[in-house]
Amino acid sequence: MTEKLEFDVIVPRQNAAVPVFTFAAKASDVRRIARIERAGRDAGGVLSGFQRPQIAAHIREIRDYLEKPTAILPNPIVVAFTGRASLRPVGGAGSGIQRLTIDLSDGAPGLIVDGQQRFTALNEIADRDFELLVSGFICDGAEELQRQFILINNTRPLPKALVYELLPQVSDLPLRMSNRSQAALLTEALNYRADSSLRGLIRQQTNPKGIIRDTVLQRLIMASLTDGALRLHAGDDRTLMENGSRLISEYFHAVQTVFEKEWKGRTPKDSRLLHGAGIIAMGYVMEALHVMTGATEREEFADGLRLLRGKTAWTEGEWTFGGERRRWNGLQNVPSDIRQLSLHLVQVLKRGLAEREQAA
Amino acid sequence: MKFLFADSLDFVDPNYDFLADRHGAKRVALHGDEFPHEFLDEVPYDGMLVSRGIVGDGPVAGKYTDAQIMRFRREGARSFLRFEEARFPDTMMMGDCGAFTYRAMAVPPYGGEDTAEFYADGRFTHGCSPDHIIFDFDAPISARTIEEVPEDVRDRYEVTLQNAAEFKAAAKAIGPGFTPMGVIQGWSAASMADAAADLVKMGYDYLALGGTVPLKIHQLRQALAAIRSSIPSDTRLHVLGFGKIECLADLEHFGVTSFDTTSPLVRAFKDAKKNYWMRDAAGDLSYYTAIRIPQATENNKLKAKAREGSVNQEEIRVLESAALVAVREMAGRTGGIDDALDAVMEYWAILNWDEEASPSRRAAAATRQRAVYARTLGERPWEDCTCRVCREGGVEALIFRNSNRNKRRGMHNLHVFHRHLQKFRTTEA
Repeated sequence: MTEKLEFDVIVPRQNAAVPVFTFAAKASDVRRIARIERAGRDAGGVLSGFQRPQIAAHIREIRDYLEKPTAILPNPIVVAFTGRASLRPVGGAGSGIQRLTIDLSDGAPGLIVDGQQRFTALNEIADRDFELLVSGFICDGAEELQRQFILINNTRPLPKALVYELLPQVSDLPLRMSNRSQAALLTEALNYRADSSLRGLIRQQTNPKGIIRDTVLQRLIMASLTDGALRLHAGDDRTLMENGSRLISEYFHAVQTVFEKEWKGRTPKDSRLLHGAGIIAMGYVMEALHVMTGATEREEFADGLRLLRGKTAWTEGEWTFGGERRRWNGLQNVPSDIRQLSLHLVQVLKRGLAEREQAA
Repeated sequence: MKFLFADSLDFVDPNYDFLADRHGAKRVALHGDEFPHEFLDEVPYDGMLVSRGIVGDGPVAGKYTDAQIMRFRREGARSFLRFEEARFPDTMMMGDCGAFTYRAMAVPPYGGEDTAEFYADGRFTHGCSPDHIIFDFDAPISARTIEEVPEDVRDRYEVTLQNAAEFKAAAKAIGPGFTPMGVIQGWSAASMADAAADLVKMGYDYLALGGTVPLKIHQLRQALAAIRSSIPSDTRLHVLGFGKIECLADLEHFGVTSFDTTSPLVRAFKDAKKNYWMRDAAGDLSYYTAIRIPQATENNKLKAKAREGSVNQEEIRVLESAALVAVREMAGRTGGIDDALDAVMEYWAILNWDEEASPSRRAAAATRQRAVYARTLGERPWEDCTCRVCREGGVEALIFRNSNRNKRRGMHNLHVFHRHLQKFRTTEA
């Protein structure tokens, strides 16, 4: 067994006391030079290591991606050495190329500071020739290493809303994101298409003046994609953009007409119709109307929605859910309130439709 | 005697890949998954029971997502569960309120009217009045009168009957295709018999006995005997949540029309030992213990150990994978049973490492466990079963690991139990 490994590395001029270098290596080689030390405590309560445990679902997603022939992994794994690694110049002075020698006689001396999940995923894939970029540094002791670990890992994730806005631009994403991606795509269309009844009304990262939160509308759309009228278009962006967007736009045109007083010029603060709970519950009213009356056009939706007029408390008064009474502004964007309101509105609608049928 | 399976979204992914341990490509949750009646070659029950507590609604959070709740109420239970009458003729679709989910509340969160509405939305064929569980059960000799029981018990008894009266009236609106069922609750055989007689007076001809889960079998016998003697012989009787599935003969003896249980499915992964069911030569149910090989980085116990730093995830993943490989090789007759047991027990030792236990107690526990696993692997029960679970999965059906294996094993148990019940019916008839 080889007692040492050598790599030609690029050494950018940064800090003479903590030399930094970068090179490419196969996952199997990285495994020989570096290990993962997870945070834990010994019997005496002394802390050792710093990494968190593996995140199985995350690793699986990375692995799925890396198995594709189109996969690239441009961000490097970061490995720190506190000893048993040395650099020596090759080529001319100041060329920036040096030779890294790693002593493996006592096991892997490097510690993975960043990229443990990527590294684990890479170890699981069949294509062992896939090389990854490794950035390394040599430091004096554990403190410098922990400092780098905290600095590297204390970044802020992108705001979710921005990620969702970017999603529709990207194909081949993990399955987990595809419903969200379709919902984001449809939300974007509803916000910017000239003939959309929700044009400009949706608040996105890039449209701060909007009134209805994009994530709220996305929830409505995702519920419909899994269990409602848009199910037909799940996984099919083309028909979703044609028929799906039309259905939602037509419906909200009807909502704005029938509840003009509660919609026009209002905000979620002074009308619960524009609030998360109201929008999502009204989404279920759309589904019910669509199933029970076959409505797809604005007039058909409006015809059904009129049955709710006078029986809502969007801007004043109170709701009665079974034995419970709730002030109009007592409704919050929480699951139980959304469920109560949704079931209530659909039930009122159902009774109204039944009465109308009897009268006819 | 009809067996109803109480569903709580129990489905599997038919394309689940056991070797890679992952869902089939492009799997769509629920829509692409299969319920037991879809997955197995023959429907393993005579009907299904769906409880309102499992579905969930306003005040009670169930197992369904909001979108699923709303779809369930738009389409009805049969469409939602893909248990259509046309495909599964002569089956029951029964609803109840799931009293166990709100057992801690002072009064049930549901009344007669809204319950009738739930059953109408769900297009159920049968539905129970909203009851409230009574946990006491007096021996006949010391049975208390209604004046002697605590206020809480009396309240539960009375609200159950009151709701039944309200519900009976409200259920008329659902239509002639629906059979309302009055639920019996009581603290003694005599009080249950009184409740049953009251329900018959209200006009119920199908009663359901609730709160039987904590009862011993002799207590259940007393209750059934007393109820039977207080109601007309043509009044039908259902036993809710019947867990003593070994005692089918008792149900038959007291003229029980139907019962529901989740036991065959749930014991596949909640029982310490009786995970995989068989019907033995003598016509009795017998059981095997499934081999526990949990997912090293997903199992909660192992995750906790990794967080405190007492196991190394890279190392336990090696043990996990060795155990799986050895069991598969043994099943495929390319490996020996001792190698398989060694590998399984090596992983077991880490999984069950208990700092408190002494080395000798640990060794004794390991020896016992090895003997249990030796029987499961040595007798190769999966080779004697022709159900789809065993046919397609082979030894995977015996591995205790994640929902897709565990629920499949539960489906196998449903298959075995239904066959057992059918044979039982023919011998009793």
